[in-house]
Amino acid sequence: MSTRTSVRSSLWLGLLAVPAVAFFLVFSYAPMAGLVVAFKEFDISKGLFGSPWNGLDNFRYFFASGDAQRILVNTIVLNVLFLAATLAAGVTLAIMLNELRGRFFKRAAQSTIFFPYFVSPVVVAIMLQVLLSGPAGDGGVVNDALAGFGLPTVSWYTEPGPWPWILTFVKIWQLGGYMSVIFLAAITSIPEDVYEAGQIDGASRAQMALRITLPLLKPTAAVLLVLGVGRIFYGDFGTIYAIVGDNGTLFPTTDVIDTYVFRSLRQIGDFGTTAAIGLFQSVVGFVLVSTAVLIQRRYSKETSLL
Amino acid sequence: MPATSPAGLSRRGFLAAGGGLSLAAMLGLSGCGDSSSPSSGKAADTLALLLPGDTPTGWDAILAKVNEKLKKDLGFTIAPQFVAWSNYQQQSLLKFTAGENFDTALQARWLNMIQLVASKSLVPVDGLISKYPNLSKTLDPQLLEQNKWSGKLYGIPQVNSAARFHHFTVRQDLADKLGVGEISTFDQLEKFWYDVKQKEKLTPIGISSNMPKLLAAFAPVGWLNQHDWENPHVSVQFFSGGSLPFYLAQDGKSTGSAKPIPFWEVPGVVDALRKIRKYYLDGIINKDALNVDSSTIKSQFESGRIATRWAMTDGLSSQSLTPLRKAVPTAQIANVVPLRGGKDAKPNQTFQADNFVVLNVKGRSNERAMQLEDWVSIKENHDLLSYGVEGTDWKPVGADKFQQLSQYSFPGFALCWRQKLELKIKDITPTEEAWFDWAQKYDNFTLDPYASFVPDVTPVKRQDSQVNAAMTQYGNPLWIGAVDVDKGLDNLKKAVDKAGLSELQAEMEKQANAYLKGQ
Amino acid sequence: MTSSLAKAAGRTAAKRRSGSWEPFTVVSVIGVALFMLVCLIPFWVIVSGSFTDEQTLAGKGYSLIPQPFSTAAYKLIFTGPTLVSAYVASIVITVAGTVLALSITSGLSWVIARRLPYVSRPLAIFAYIPMLFSGGLVPLYLLVTQYLKLQNSYFAVILPLLVAPFLVFIQVSAFRQLPEEILDSARVDGAGELQIFFRIGLPLSKPILAVVGLFYAVHYWNEWFTALLFMSDIHKYPLPLLLQNLISNVSFSQMLPTAAAQSTPVYQLRLALTVVTIGPILLAYPFAQRYFVKGITLGATKG
Repeated sequence: MSTRTSVRSSLWLGLLAVPAVAFFLVFSYAPMAGLVVAFKEFDISKGLFGSPWNGLDNFRYFFASGDAQRILVNTIVLNVLFLAATLAAGVTLAIMLNELRGRFFKRAAQSTIFFPYFVSPVVVAIMLQVLLSGPAGDGGVVNDALAGFGLPTVSWYTEPGPWPWILTFVKIWQLGGYMSVIFLAAITSIPEDVYEAGQIDGASRAQMALRITLPLLKPTAAVLLVLGVGRIFYGDFGTIYAIVGDNGTLFPTTDVIDTYVFRSLRQIGDFGTTAAIGLFQSVVGFVLVSTAVLIQRRYSKETSLL
Repeated sequence: MPATSPAGLSRRGFLAAGGGLSLAAMLGLSGCGDSSSPSSGKAADTLALLLPGDTPTGWDAILAKVNEKLKKDLGFTIAPQFVAWSNYQQQSLLKFTAGENFDTALQARWLNMIQLVASKSLVPVDGLISKYPNLSKTLDPQLLEQNKWSGKLYGIPQVNSAARFHHFTVRQDLADKLGVGEISTFDQLEKFWYDVKQKEKLTPIGISSNMPKLLAAFAPVGWLNQHDWENPHVSVQFFSGGSLPFYLAQDGKSTGSAKPIPFWEVPGVVDALRKIRKYYLDGIINKDALNVDSSTIKSQFESGRIATRWAMTDGLSSQSLTPLRKAVPTAQIANVVPLRGGKDAKPNQTFQADNFVVLNVKGRSNERAMQLEDWVSIKENHDLLSYGVEGTDWKPVGADKFQQLSQYSFPGFALCWRQKLELKIKDITPTEEAWFDWAQKYDNFTLDPYASFVPDVTPVKRQDSQVNAAMTQYGNPLWIGAVDVDKGLDNLKKAVDKAGLSELQAEMEKQANAYLKGQ
Repeated sequence: MTSSLAKAAGRTAAKRRSGSWEPFTVVSVIGVALFMLVCLIPFWVIVSGSFTDEQTLAGKGYSLIPQPFSTAAYKLIFTGPTLVSAYVASIVITVAGTVLALSITSGLSWVIARRLPYVSRPLAIFAYIPMLFSGGLVPLYLLVTQYLKLQNSYFAVILPLLVAPFLVFIQVSAFRQLPEEILDSARVDGAGELQIFFRIGLPLSKPILAVVGLFYAVHYWNEWFTALLFMSDIHKYPLPLLLQNLISNVSFSQMLPTAAAQSTPVYQLRLALTVVTIGPILLAYPFAQRYFVKGITLGATKG
């Protein structure tokens, strides 16, 4: 597109990126040297370079543990659920918000749905407890409602089955509004005449939302998707840990890499293995993102991320 | 903390992912903070202390007074940093790892003390204490002896009693109302729970998420293990906090063999698990035990929603009475230790301190840190730091009690707990006071045959970590009765076998036998 | 697409809304209202709970009416001597951090968005890698405390979080939607690349600047972990760290004495702390939001 820019002006332009490059070099790249600990048997007193190398032992150890497979599957399943659900919720909400009339209502709506983003995981966990188990572990709002309809109640905190859905619901609640703000910003940048053309053709508002707005949100969704895919191996530690904690009964469906790592670090302070798992997450993330970017470029060069 | 951070900014917040001292070397500078840590010979004007918890209310005023007096007496001041509990373990380990030059910290086996001892980050203090008269006067020789690990003392034990014995705080008003009266046996206790459940519609026992492992297989007694309360002579050892409990032979000293066995082979433990399962199904214990924290349980007890709560012989559980009476004006509480034989039972005890003040090898001045520990062993100084200004923050009640007048409260166990100097709270109930006094005397207990045995996890670190994971997944639900005992045990056994139970058992045996030999 | 955008510039979004109440609009209103309810009820429960007596909270759970009314938790929070300094610290960190972060992120994003050969793509990859690879806590800690010596400086909190790769990509994709024609016409008029950025690029991108700025502001406002790492002077604690300490000041382990002598209203406190932290953000939000509603190229091609 703008390859017309001359080399000299490119240089001037490059100046704009210098502070950010410096930031990344100092605060992100320099500390990355710490990753070598993934290949070491870390010992506090010996420090990094004094600690003996142990090759791939740290990696082998993680994969040899019977838990690796379950944790990997959980991590991917939960993250795919979260990503799909929050993106869908964000797009839907943004389109709906765009339909709203009346400045005040629209603003009030945006502020309100953005709010759950700020609620700390601890408070989310407590609210969930009120809903699912009530004070002192009996009943809870949901069970009261179930009983009201003559349905059997569920002992939620000892039933692993429903948890992926419960967590997904929590994520939608937390991030639906947040995502919708990003999408709404994209919607406001859609040119008016596109809609005018639609109106002349006699399209209903629903049709316009479906045929015009939705396709035009693709680039934004693609960016979010690609970024999300890169982080698919990272669980949402804060929320999951606050809610599930050390409740082993729920691990079959909720234990993810990050919660697993946190526990093993807390219990035995194993820096080497932790770093190894972190590196593994990074490498897989990198591969996933590269693939996603390549695929995306094939389909729409226009909106390519990199 | 935001619910989620899109860029993963706060991800660093929980993964203390290793990195070591790479940067130091990378930039061609000397690592380990050598440049910034003067040797311990050189005097430092201000000592840096790591303390857990929130900054006490009214802290600035007390600190100013403490520093003024310290400056006058010893010529230096202190600058404590309070780190909230939820971050304390990670932060203190990080500061040690980064080679910071703070002077003292709270450490313990349940924190990272074993690791820090292994990495020689702590100053052995056994040879130093005798040089400081006030300090040595307030520390019982038996306490120091029992807390040596392989012959060395790595911190100053912080205790307010000789022994630590967990037990129950119950709602005595309910017991009276239900006709149970004063409770002294486990059977009475159980009857009380079932009566409470049926007639009072309260949750009889409140269990929080840090308690499951204390319930069935724990020393000196499993909290809900009737067999233990009636035969309080068990020795239980773990390689690490959440690992599998091994029981060691009581006659080890005479046979020279510790014969560690996993908990399910021990008489009483499986029975206790079955009972707990029954409690769970009957609604005697709260069903969300794995998901509620201890402060929530405390608050529920203080609102009169729970009839029994965990207690420790620290003389502090009576504090709940005042808030409880706001909710239930007629409430009474009592502490129950349902040992068969009561105060003459002489149960096993390791006398291991739960908390230590440790000296950092890289501290600015180890000498001054010891002087400080000596200084806070003087009653006047101890009281100022522990309770605040007399007359404003507290006043003495009788010879050995105090009444709190302000909101000031200091984590004394992280700096200045001395058994002989601690005052009891004014509101202490007669039953709690009686048991607290009981716990003050070494003679009321039988010395555990493995009292100062501290297993070293290093040779079986990997296996232990996996056993830990298995215990969290299969052990926790089993401890609180959330799963069928036979099925749950079966799953647990399979998981720990795969994780390396046999290696742990062999290593435990090796180390315990070596310990017995050294005695 | 970009050319049509330029033509559309100047028309306000309001025009779109001149139609009658179609079914879809009604569905949308209901949908949004329902979601608002799902978000509002917990919010109200939090506010109401923070004013409800601890005994009732622990006994009955949460209610929609604060009955019996109690301000114990707020008293506890506001009598802390350091609350004022915590607000000051948080405001300084948030304002300075957001301004710095937004400037630097915009600069980088602009360069990436211009698709300069040999520059933009490597830069994008360069910015993306830190999102995946992190050296961990210890090296960062050493960097800040031993080499930059930023302990107890607000910069210790601001600098490590200065550029969030995620937001760079959001901004890049927004910059790329700017009409090329406007930039070209400026070039024809002899404007330099930097001039174009400052005089045209930034003013045209107010909405995305507002969005990205808001995200940075929220990050800085909520940040407690870097503060925990690098601040030891309690008078410099930002608000979230202070509150985090309060919230976790519980009897951490069964090994410990029952902690503080005074009984803290734990349930109430947690809720009140939520209100105190998010209150200012909710108040500030409508101001940032003003920009979201405006058209993206509004005013660029007037006349």
